[in-house]
Amino acid sequence: MDRALASALQERFGTTLLAPVRQRFDETEIRVSVADAIPTLRVLHDEPDFAFEMLIDLCGVDTGEEMQVVYHLSSSRSGDWLRVVVPGVDRNAPRVASLTSLWPGAEWMEREAYDMFGIIFEGNRDLRRIYMPDDYRSYPLRKDFYLADDASRSPAAGVRNMERVGTPVDATRATALRKSPGA
Amino acid sequence: MTTQQTRPSLDDPRIAIPASSEWYEPAPTAQTERQAEFLNLRDGEMLINLGPQHPSTHGVLRIVVKVSGEQVVDLDPVLGYLHRGVEKLCENSDYHQAICYTDPLEYVASLFCEAATVAAFEKLVEVEVPRRAQYIRVLTMELNRIASHTLFQGWMALDLGGITPILWSFIERDEIVDMLAALTGQKLLYNYYRIGGVNGDLNHEFMSRLGNWMSRAAEQIDSNTGLMNENEIFVRRTRGLGVLDAATALRMGVTGPNLRASGVPFDLRRDHPYLVYPELEFNIPTREEGDSLARYMVRIDEIRESIRIIDQVLHEMPDGPIMAKLPRLIRPRPGRAFGAVEGPRGVYGVYAISDGTDQPFRMRIHDPSFVHLQLVGPLSRGNLIADTMAVMASLDPVMGGVDK
Repeated sequence: MDRALASALQERFGTTLLAPVRQRFDETEIRVSVADAIPTLRVLHDEPDFAFEMLIDLCGVDTGEEMQVVYHLSSSRSGDWLRVVVPGVDRNAPRVASLTSLWPGAEWMEREAYDMFGIIFEGNRDLRRIYMPDDYRSYPLRKDFYLADDASRSPAAGVRNMERVGTPVDATRATALRKSPGA
Repeated sequence: MTTQQTRPSLDDPRIAIPASSEWYEPAPTAQTERQAEFLNLRDGEMLINLGPQHPSTHGVLRIVVKVSGEQVVDLDPVLGYLHRGVEKLCENSDYHQAICYTDPLEYVASLFCEAATVAAFEKLVEVEVPRRAQYIRVLTMELNRIASHTLFQGWMALDLGGITPILWSFIERDEIVDMLAALTGQKLLYNYYRIGGVNGDLNHEFMSRLGNWMSRAAEQIDSNTGLMNENEIFVRRTRGLGVLDAATALRMGVTGPNLRASGVPFDLRRDHPYLVYPELEFNIPTREEGDSLARYMVRIDEIRESIRIIDQVLHEMPDGPIMAKLPRLIRPRPGRAFGAVEGPRGVYGVYAISDGTDQPFRMRIHDPSFVHLQLVGPLSRGNLIADTMAVMASLDPVMGGVDK
């Protein structure tokens, strides 16, 4: 755990952070708003005190109430993973700024997040479906997208899979949207 | 008198099928700025398909190539032929089941995706892996890395038109695969790691096979590499081809041997240590050139380092339990964790979110092949079509991981 990184982040970004810097094992987590996301990442990338030159991962998260975009960065200055969580993206019209001006390699990861969650990355020059067909309409990783063969939750409830003998466990569970309080 | 019957000709207007524009699939309409640029053909340019079923595309990948004569002007990989929705499947299965869904992502070296998954889950559950299990994981992972790199070596030669090296490299790979089959019961998709340990202890058959192989591994690898490293056709075709400089590599998010071939000594085993790697002694091979040959050479050097690691692990393997004590049904407290390992292709990362139930709320799987495939376009622009295959082979993507 890199304590120095936590205090440096707190000092440099101060009120930009939506929550205090959180650390657990070898991970450091900060939260910034949608508007502050790209400037914050630019500072983390450019300033030699941080030098987070590597974008390891970019992904979307649907908590059931809002969307999030999560970035994982790595720096040669610290042994910690830095996770930048951008919460509070509107679930009905998710829009965030693209990271491709900083890391061109984020292009496909943003395309994937668009394909799976419908998050629109403004500034990405090639934002179209990457896995699903072009005429596909829904966004599979959203929490209100049920698996078609999940008999207990889909419109075909009551149809039983061959492997399932007896009552499916899921039948006893509420079919309400799964929401995460902690995410 | 009858005239001699001749076979009907397709040129005969009575039987010829009139040409129709409906035979041809209409060109796709551009959805984005970049695609519009791609589909805009200048004089003398045309689009051709490589794949989806083409032996040199490493799985089911289709690349639409814009060519001018024999020269590649631009290209656009089309993904999704192997898309199975693994992330969604993992979110709908419990923590133990999710591990085996990550196996077929990286089917050439499937232990690494597993290792990243259990690393993330172990952080969620906050469990310490017993030392013997950590050593076993390092041992099996390094074996799998060698199996993957030897396959890469043969495959790269095959893409360049050489048949022999793949037959030779499969000798090595088969030995390792059989060894791991003796340990895990599976040849390809091992499903061997568990949250808090491994599935079974080292057995006699595995150890005797391993001992046998280790006694001549280095020699065998050298003779295999001699077949290619000293082959003039191979060296001249790959040297200076698809040069990737360090700054671009970092901006493109490249990791693993492809990054180290550009001169950046980034290796998770050193920079974000996990398991018992900090206690082991090994080098991180790098090259400065950043071309296809350098990417090949880095992998060959890594095989030698892996053999060194295995040697140390076998000498230092402690006794003890191989599983931590954990309840059968795992319900981690709500939280988030990121687990990553250094695989043969780069960083495999898993970001897992728990909401307190027995299923991961969100499971994001990051696969390096996905990122590296983006580079095929920039690196093969201006080259010949055949060189696209050489560039792609040197980047070593596996489509199972790209398409998830």
